[in-house]
Amino acid sequence: MSDPILAVENVSKRFAGRVALDSVSIEVAPGSITGMIGPNGSGKSTLFNIVAGTLRPDQGRVLVTGQNTGSSSAAEICGLGVARTFQISRLFAEMTVLENLVAVARGRDDRAAISLALELLDFLEIGDIADRWGAELSYGQRKLVEIARALMLQPKIMLLDEPFAGVNPRLQNRIVEHLRALCARGITVFFIDHEMRIVLGECDLVYVLAEGRLIARGDPQSVRNDAKVLQAYF
Amino acid sequence: MPVADLLIGGILLGGVYALMACGLNLIFGVMRVINFAHGDILAISALSTVSIAVGLKLPFWVAIVFVPIGCAAFGALIQVLILRRIEGAPMIMSLLATYALSTILVNVAILIWGGGYSGLPGVLSGSIRIIGVNVSLSRLVSFVCAIGVSLAVWWMLEYTRFGRAVRSVSAAPELASISGIAIERVRLATFALGTAMAGFAGVLVAPAFAIDPQLGSRFIIKAFAVIIVGGMGSYPGAILAALLLGVVEVVGSYFAGAVIGSAFLFLLMLAVLLVRPRGLLGAGVRA
Amino acid sequence: MKGINPLAIIGVAAIVAIVLPFVGSDYAISFSIQLLIFLVLAASWNWIGGYAGYTHFGQVGFFGIGAYVGSLLNFHYGMPWYLAAIIAALAGAAVAIPLGGAMLRLKGPFFAIGMFGLARVLEAFALGFDSITGGGTGIYLKPVSDLRPLYWAVAGVAMIMVLLTWRLDNSRLGLKLLAIREDESAAESLGLPTTRLKIGTFVASAIAPAAMGSIYAVYLGFIDPPTAFAPNMELTTIAMVLLGGMGTVLGPLVGAIVLSVVNEVLWASYPQIYLACVGVIVLLAVLFMPRGIVSLGMKKGWFRIGRPQFRRLAARKEQAAA
Repeated sequence: MSDPILAVENVSKRFAGRVALDSVSIEVAPGSITGMIGPNGSGKSTLFNIVAGTLRPDQGRVLVTGQNTGSSSAAEICGLGVARTFQISRLFAEMTVLENLVAVARGRDDRAAISLALELLDFLEIGDIADRWGAELSYGQRKLVEIARALMLQPKIMLLDEPFAGVNPRLQNRIVEHLRALCARGITVFFIDHEMRIVLGECDLVYVLAEGRLIARGDPQSVRNDAKVLQAYF
Repeated sequence: MPVADLLIGGILLGGVYALMACGLNLIFGVMRVINFAHGDILAISALSTVSIAVGLKLPFWVAIVFVPIGCAAFGALIQVLILRRIEGAPMIMSLLATYALSTILVNVAILIWGGGYSGLPGVLSGSIRIIGVNVSLSRLVSFVCAIGVSLAVWWMLEYTRFGRAVRSVSAAPELASISGIAIERVRLATFALGTAMAGFAGVLVAPAFAIDPQLGSRFIIKAFAVIIVGGMGSYPGAILAALLLGVVEVVGSYFAGAVIGSAFLFLLMLAVLLVRPRGLLGAGVRA
Repeated sequence: MKGINPLAIIGVAAIVAIVLPFVGSDYAISFSIQLLIFLVLAASWNWIGGYAGYTHFGQVGFFGIGAYVGSLLNFHYGMPWYLAAIIAALAGAAVAIPLGGAMLRLKGPFFAIGMFGLARVLEAFALGFDSITGGGTGIYLKPVSDLRPLYWAVAGVAMIMVLLTWRLDNSRLGLKLLAIREDESAAESLGLPTTRLKIGTFVASAIAPAAMGSIYAVYLGFIDPPTAFAPNMELTTIAMVLLGGMGTVLGPLVGAIVLSVVNEVLWASYPQIYLACVGVIVLLAVLFMPRGIVSLGMKKGWFRIGRPQFRRLAARKEQAAA
């Protein structure tokens, strides 16, 4: 792969003696849709946290657009072009949807921030809930707002943690279309999910984690038929 | 020889700190509540003891028995009326609530007992000699009782069924409730027990120190310092840190005067918070 | 939009404040100075505690530092009180910068207790280093003949604080502070420079209290450690913000007015009853109205909802689409 936008090199992480990640290496090509799957507890969210900068790896390093993020804070990593959503949505409850977005906007221009926020809400087809409180939203709406909020950072790569979980199929398809649109605009999409239909249907490249180790890597077809993957899941 | 004097004086003081801090720690561990009013319960217990012994002219042991029971009842009341209602709220709310409670208690105490100092001159007076040092009998007795109760509660935590329930709720409330432990009752009992420990500490303090309604405010910050240095949630850590800080305070006071001596305690607490927030034996407190 | 515009209420309060020294008795002016000092303390605490969510029990430490710096300058060098207040404010900021860097790394309750401990340390130092500070005896200052200049100074600062809060509330900076309050680590993951924001807010919340401390000493004509670092002052300030509404513009104003009136009514009997009542008020607020009067008022439509900038534009967009 030429110049991956994200490279994870031999990252390991332990929590109180338990191995969460064991020498995992991953590359994400710019402009692609990459997926990561694996049974619960396989370390996927931990990897995301390390890439986003909320956790430090015990060993190994992470390169975003070629830069080592070892000494960077989470906020600095955002500056490099990384934005993420959370598995369990962490919207700011005492603010409206619009405010949730504007709160993380970059730059000094208020008007520009607000119009970007409104534009993104429209892009995700949720413009009508701009004034609703974060705490009042439905599950599906929260997921979409999370995505919109991450997009406010105008990232080069989006990390989505289970964007399809618990969401009805119609909304799932809408999200898929949005992700494809993002890709068309040159934004790299890297997501974790259990929804096989989507992962295997949409991704250019799929990584499979199990018990902290990378057990498979490849295009959806080969991953689908990989014996180790089947064994890990079933 | 001042060194032995200071050491022993410090350790004796530390005994009372230990009892207070252990009660606080118990409450924090199980309920994640930082009980600002803990010191004022101690103060009111001490003052009540004086009233019982001097005012009502009843023997000292009456206070030892009834004051802690009264405190436990009061604690249960607080838990039911106040703390239970704010269980889900951010920790700062329980901190504010107990801070407010502390203010209420101090001022009620001033109204009842007046703002001045009192004491129990007749009880456990005199001193005995230990390794060449004159040790006040009342302080020695209070130390022995305080450490005794602290260790007894520790034993209970480790070896009784109730103690195990308490530790489960401390460590993992969700799991505890699934495995059938009646969390609400454990919380109620724990708060009552913690409060009773403060009450007992108050009774022990009465013959050994001069007491006034503001005593609690002075003690509470020291109790916090003890738990932070020992490690929040660590019972043995609290006992260890209490003894250590008792010595620090006495030594500091000897060299720099009583006022700055007590400041050493706070400075140590701040230093620990900033450098090793885990304390000696505890879990993390960083943002 | 329904509800009273907060600026209208601020305007009314401003008019009352301006008219008072001309028509009010000396007693009224004295009462108002105390109220306004508390308003400034409450508004400052509201920034770090209400907006950023870093509640703490140590603000009186800055008040005390200001009181002593101002008093010593006045006593030893005869510096006029308004200059002393400015230097006191700078002293407060100077202490807050390194302190904030160190203390703000602590999690919620530990930050609160750490700051409480700090205020106690400062009080102990004020008592202990008596060669400098006069120790327990305190420092006696030349009494002022006319309270009106003090009143104007305090009223001016109070007005500035309230207006700054109004600007903060309706700005992206305000949103960023709220984001820190709501979920600091999510905010950091989304690129907010949380450390810089926290320290900035903390320092900003220390400046005015330090100035007020120095003015308070002049107002009393006297300062000593229990007065400068009174925990009761801390509790009253927090009670005002909690009762009024944390993280709102009018909260500190409403709280200051309510509690100052309660103070006046009850102080005549016993200070202890007043303080016990403040404790009860805080307790009741925590149990039944943790968001405060103003937030309740916003929900019920009495007050206009805050942060109008982010509502009007959303509405305008809908109109354009229609």
